Amino acid sequence: MSATQEAAEVAMPERPGLLARLLREPAAALSLFLVVALLLAAICAPLLAPTDPYDNDLTKVMQPPGSPGLPLGADAQGRDMVTRLLYGLRVSLLMGFVAVLIGGGLGAVLGFLAAFYQRWLDGPIMRLVDIMLSFPAILVGLAIAAIFGPGIFSVVLALSVATIPLMARIVRGSALVVMRLDYIEAARATGMTDARLIWRHLAPNCLSAIFVFATLRFGQVILLGSALSFLGLGAQPPVPELGAMASEGRNFLFFAPHIAVVPCILIFIVVLAFNILGDALRDALDPRLRL
Amino acid sequence: MLRHALHRIMLAFPVMFGVLLIGFLLMQVVPTDPATVRAGPTATPDVIAAIRADLGLDAPLHYQFALYMGRLVQGDLGVSIINNVPVTQELSATIGPTLELMAASLFWSIPLGILLGTLAAYWRGSLMDRCIMAVSVAGVSVPVFFLGLLLIWFVGFKWQLLPFTGRGGPLWTLDGIRAIILPAITLGGVFIGPVARMTRTAVLDVLTADHVRTARAKGLTERLVVLRHALRNALVPVITLIGLQIGFLLGGAVVTETVFAWPGVGRLAVGAILSSDFPMAQGTIIVLSLGFIVVNLVVDVLYAALDPRIREA
Repeated sequence: MSATQEAAEVAMPERPGLLARLLREPAAALSLFLVVALLLAAICAPLLAPTDPYDNDLTKVMQPPGSPGLPLGADAQGRDMVTRLLYGLRVSLLMGFVAVLIGGGLGAVLGFLAAFYQRWLDGPIMRLVDIMLSFPAILVGLAIAAIFGPGIFSVVLALSVATIPLMARIVRGSALVVMRLDYIEAARATGMTDARLIWRHLAPNCLSAIFVFATLRFGQVILLGSALSFLGLGAQPPVPELGAMASEGRNFLFFAPHIAVVPCILIFIVVLAFNILGDALRDALDPRLRL
Repeated sequence: MLRHALHRIMLAFPVMFGVLLIGFLLMQVVPTDPATVRAGPTATPDVIAAIRADLGLDAPLHYQFALYMGRLVQGDLGVSIINNVPVTQELSATIGPTLELMAASLFWSIPLGILLGTLAAYWRGSLMDRCIMAVSVAGVSVPVFFLGLLLIWFVGFKWQLLPFTGRGGPLWTLDGIRAIILPAITLGGVFIGPVARMTRTAVLDVLTADHVRTARAKGLTERLVVLRHALRNALVPVITLIGLQIGFLLGGAVVTETVFAWPGVGRLAVGAILSSDFPMAQGTIIVLSLGFIVVNLVVDVLYAALDPRIREA
């Protein structure tokens, strides 16, 4: 090791890793733990669930939490709430994940194209984004449910469509900053194709912005998806989905409030965990995105 | 100023046209044929064909679009499949309650949100700041229907303090006010978080500005600096951001109306979609979208009126 390298290492203490920075904040550490626990619970639902989510026992109808063998009670059809919640979490998280993946992916492509081909594509793409942003997500959800009929497909499609313009804006902003850096010019000078330049050099440098936005958006998507399901436009009974479960439980609110309240609490925990984690990731990775 | 306003209005036209085009296409892709529905289950093919011709459904698509635009200009949005009532009639009965609900929620949530955001900025970094921001994050994470169900369960059912279904009457009557309290608390409750957060950020931004430093140098107390110099200037971006959150409020209104059986446009739209009443669904979606565009336009023009830098940009 040369003297210069040694001096540089002494002068610049190593920056702690992302995980270490996240764990330093108690709220961020707790939210990270919660997100991991929720994801594991959703993935392992068939292993963890005591019964089948569609198994109903009429002798257990509307049993309150704490009843023998039913820690969180049973719903109006006598189905175990713990099982329904685990499967409901799985469906809700999967819906959110697919929507952020599709909507975020398409939005990112549009954002990169707008930034890279600024002269030709920026104007048209950003006008399209503006038009898409003119429709609040709930109206997108209502319109898509009117066309395709209520169901999980409609909700995922609506959530994806509502995510596209937001991601496109974030990625375009981030990519425009990277585009001004010298190394992009240098890479271009080597004769690299546009596609390779975007994929190898532009995209990796925008990943932190994409990652932060996707985490924050995930919470919003879960909230919106559960609201659409609560309205009856998303998952249809007897499919266990948290919003739909809350909607079913609403009819029995005065006799067995736990049927509606417990899924609502779980939605709240999921969204809160992703929102806090998203905020912490933003502070750690890309403080410029702070509102 | 006028030039800026005209420019924004001109830009809004293509978006409005897009809304109307999507509204038109909505009816083209739905699986139900309006002529068959209107003719009834026992109609012969000849009758259905006559109704199709009468409605212009056998004409080319562009001609149908021109017909649709012509009817729209005259305020004709079609007739409900379910109860045979003109869509505009149902809409005019439900727009008022929706606006009432939104206004009542903003009436208490904006001042409270601005107050909380200012307090958080004033005591930045303190326990108070952390608590307010924690409540704000919790506020944006709570499902609207959860808040509504909790209020119905406790305030409406257990304690029997307030009614929790429907609209009690006009807002100038006691019944009207009692009926709107729970829906307005529900809808406003989810709005406080974003307003508090935006206010805090805006006040903190202004606190680093030169005129605030001058105010401090004059020897003004921190309270006067925040209230008179920072908050006043921070209100402009806050008002704009609040305007941009109207979409969020609209989403909350649709859910709140459903939870409290509030007779608004959102509940009408959801009911129409669930019962496959396509003309009604189309009408409600068009009206809600156009309303949203108009609100955004008004906010945009107001922003420029409040801040000369915007209209010069």
